[in-house]
Amino acid sequence: MNRRCFLMAAAAGLGACSRDRRPRLNVFNWSTYIDPQTVPKFEAEFGARVRYSVYEGNEEMLARVMSGNSGWDIVFPTSYIVKPMLANDLLAPVHHDLLPNLGNLEPHFQKPDWDERLEWSVPYMVTAAGIAYNRKLVPPPEAWEDMWSKRLGGRITMLDDPFDLLGACLKKLGRSINTSDAPELRQAQQAAIAQKPLLRAYVNAEVRDQLVSGDVLAAQMWNTTAQQAMDSSSEVAFAYPREGYAVYPDSSVILRESKHQELAHQFINFLLRPDIAAANALAARTTTTNWAARKLLPAEFRDNETLYPSPDVVARGEWARTMSPESQRLRDRLWTEIKSA
Amino acid sequence: MNRLRAWFLAPSWIVTVSLFLVPLAIILFYSFLTRGNYGGVVLDWSSDSYRRLADPLYGMILLRTFWIAGVSSLLCMLLGFPLALFISRSGARKNLYLSLVILPFWTSFLVRTYAWMFLLRDTGLINTALQSMGLIHSPLPLLYNDGAVILGLVYSYLPFMVLPLYATLERLDPNLLEAAADLGAKPGATLMRVILPLCAPGIRAGTVLVFIPCLGAYLTPDLLGGGKSVMAGNLIQNQFTNARDWPFGSAAALALMAIVMLLLLAFVRSDQEGLL
Amino acid sequence: MKGGRRAGLALYAVFALLFLHLPLLILALFSFNASRFTVWQGFSLHWYQEAFHDAELAESTWNSLIIAAVATVLSTVIGTLCAYGLWKRRAPVLSNSLYLSLVTPEIVTGISLLAFYQWVFRFLHVQLGMHTVILAHISFSIAYVVIVVMARLRTVDAKLEEAALDLGANEWQAFRFVTLPVIWPGVIAAALLAFTVSFDDYVITSLVAGVDSETLPMAIYALARRGVSPMVNAISAVIVFGLGVLILVSERLRSA
Repeated sequence: MNRRCFLMAAAAGLGACSRDRRPRLNVFNWSTYIDPQTVPKFEAEFGARVRYSVYEGNEEMLARVMSGNSGWDIVFPTSYIVKPMLANDLLAPVHHDLLPNLGNLEPHFQKPDWDERLEWSVPYMVTAAGIAYNRKLVPPPEAWEDMWSKRLGGRITMLDDPFDLLGACLKKLGRSINTSDAPELRQAQQAAIAQKPLLRAYVNAEVRDQLVSGDVLAAQMWNTTAQQAMDSSSEVAFAYPREGYAVYPDSSVILRESKHQELAHQFINFLLRPDIAAANALAARTTTTNWAARKLLPAEFRDNETLYPSPDVVARGEWARTMSPESQRLRDRLWTEIKSA
Repeated sequence: MNRLRAWFLAPSWIVTVSLFLVPLAIILFYSFLTRGNYGGVVLDWSSDSYRRLADPLYGMILLRTFWIAGVSSLLCMLLGFPLALFISRSGARKNLYLSLVILPFWTSFLVRTYAWMFLLRDTGLINTALQSMGLIHSPLPLLYNDGAVILGLVYSYLPFMVLPLYATLERLDPNLLEAAADLGAKPGATLMRVILPLCAPGIRAGTVLVFIPCLGAYLTPDLLGGGKSVMAGNLIQNQFTNARDWPFGSAAALALMAIVMLLLLAFVRSDQEGLL
Repeated sequence: MKGGRRAGLALYAVFALLFLHLPLLILALFSFNASRFTVWQGFSLHWYQEAFHDAELAESTWNSLIIAAVATVLSTVIGTLCAYGLWKRRAPVLSNSLYLSLVTPEIVTGISLLAFYQWVFRFLHVQLGMHTVILAHISFSIAYVVIVVMARLRTVDAKLEEAALDLGANEWQAFRFVTLPVIWPGVIAAALLAFTVSFDDYVITSLVAGVDSETLPMAIYALARRGVSPMVNAISAVIVFGLGVLILVSERLRSA
């Protein structure tokens, strides 16, 4: 008994000693999506602590926050996830008076189709999904079709995300990535299952190192991650497929369960500052939604083909839109079946 | 006496009921509900989840799970039997060898699985060594397939096979072997007709101790199979995280439990002294 | 047994034992490799330094230690009392439930606990966190403790307690002053076992952990998914060594 009391007291004592009185904000974001200095700068300026954790996909984030008491304050869903989160009562309203920097967003991001008046979300960065490949692969892939080619056997990966995977299959079949048409979705599922024997794995940003080392020859990948890989190695290149590709704006949202709503607003406002947004875009190698920040970016970054492609490439891109609940359920079921096949 | 005994057992009762039996009851409950639009459950009774399990797709997953678990158990037996035989005949150093067999098992499971990732990767030790010796020119795809998963499972559960086999081999009366030799049996025949049948309880115990955890394996197929080698454990985990289909996941989990319990009932004989 | 065959068996045993130990030894060896690739480029403690300076790893390790410590203490106490109670008289429902908790696949235990917690959270204003992980660990550790202590109890002569009772002690005193000291090494061994099992758990913990309760196995898993870092080798070597020592001590105590 004595020993046990001592242990409990010691643990409690140690816990009390190390308790920090500053408010703590819990931020859950995509991996490598921020400048390493942003969080320390925020902590210093606002006298707060930030717990910053990362996830690799929307599904992973949703699984944690769906319960409504996950402990996170701010998360970064992709555009088509915002309305479903709202439907499940997960979001707290965004107060514009607490976000003076909101005007820094580009005009069309101030009225995005998933949240016309920015009542629930604040756009952050934009990514697109294409094909990242190692230059050892000759001829280089130019279309989604090429990811079904037998010569790549075992050296390709696709994204571990239902929307991305079905999106690529739909584009290969010449359809819209946002379709709710069941037969079209099933055809896409069949295409995914047909590809499986050639596939090494379903994996997200984690495949970057394998692409650089050449273990993987071609990967369905977001342009930001591809750019990060290209920075490490001139062996890696990125292609926007001929048939078209998906474009994903990511936004920050405040969860309704958050106990630090004002601090959360301050953090989001901080992210909207031109210098901070520019630093984030540069460090994460992404396309920013912030026009004031874009002006601050160095010229060679602004003209980067991967992140800011030419107009004809941009025209091929299709923006991800919210799906109907039935379509979402069908896609989820098809995804389970693809993974299990 | 009864009152004191009640106090002694009360904490365990509370923990077991609230943290083990009640949760199982909850997922039984969930397995009969319907999935909400974006996840969660709604109070709509339906046996849809169980009917979905009958789909041949999931039958295939179950078969594959049985296949991988079965091959792993068989390999464990083939590899473990000679080792157990050796230890049972090594006299004074038995305990030393037993400790050597047990030691890797008690270090982190995750680390042991990672060790094989490290060895089997394209840029891992095996491929690098083979390439530097000029035996191959491009890396062999050793990782992310069923074979890697089986290797990982055999490596993790081999001690579980060795120990029961050793226990029965140790109790083997050497007079029986002498008698067999006197009657003119060759060593091979002695093995087949005398040793193996006498070891049946040990073989049975070892197989159960390996096969059942392999059925429920999750981490090994996840890390070594690259998400392509979907076993029952992966399917269940996926339903509760990324797919957010709790009713279906619950049904699958209960189906797995039912299979495990059936196997236990079939294999565990009542003549063995219970563990508890 | 004929010499040749005996030698063959011994040779096989050597290979089998090497199979069991080499992967871990190689892993540990390469944790000292100066290069991040699998080509030996000189001895270096660089990865250990990187691991020790990683704030997130430090927090995870600290969490793992706290969780394991609290869970171990509680499950050892509860489990020892339970084993003693079962030793005196059988309680089939409880024994079978404990046995069932041992054979239930971890994934099933994990998701059932997650479902249970989410259901409870509708009524209480709590979240997933250290406490949910600790409770989960206690739940699956008890069966291990009961087995080890029970094995020890079977070597104890029941007549000792009878003698104590005859001499005027009540039942609690008989347990506390007669039986407990005799099984004490077994209790400690069980505690060490419970600590190991708790510290190493990944599957159940990953499902019921909250924002503030990332454990070391969870951190290692995240790193391992990312592929290449020898930092994982370094952490692994430390864990293997630490847990190995604990288990050796536990085995010594158990056979004491």
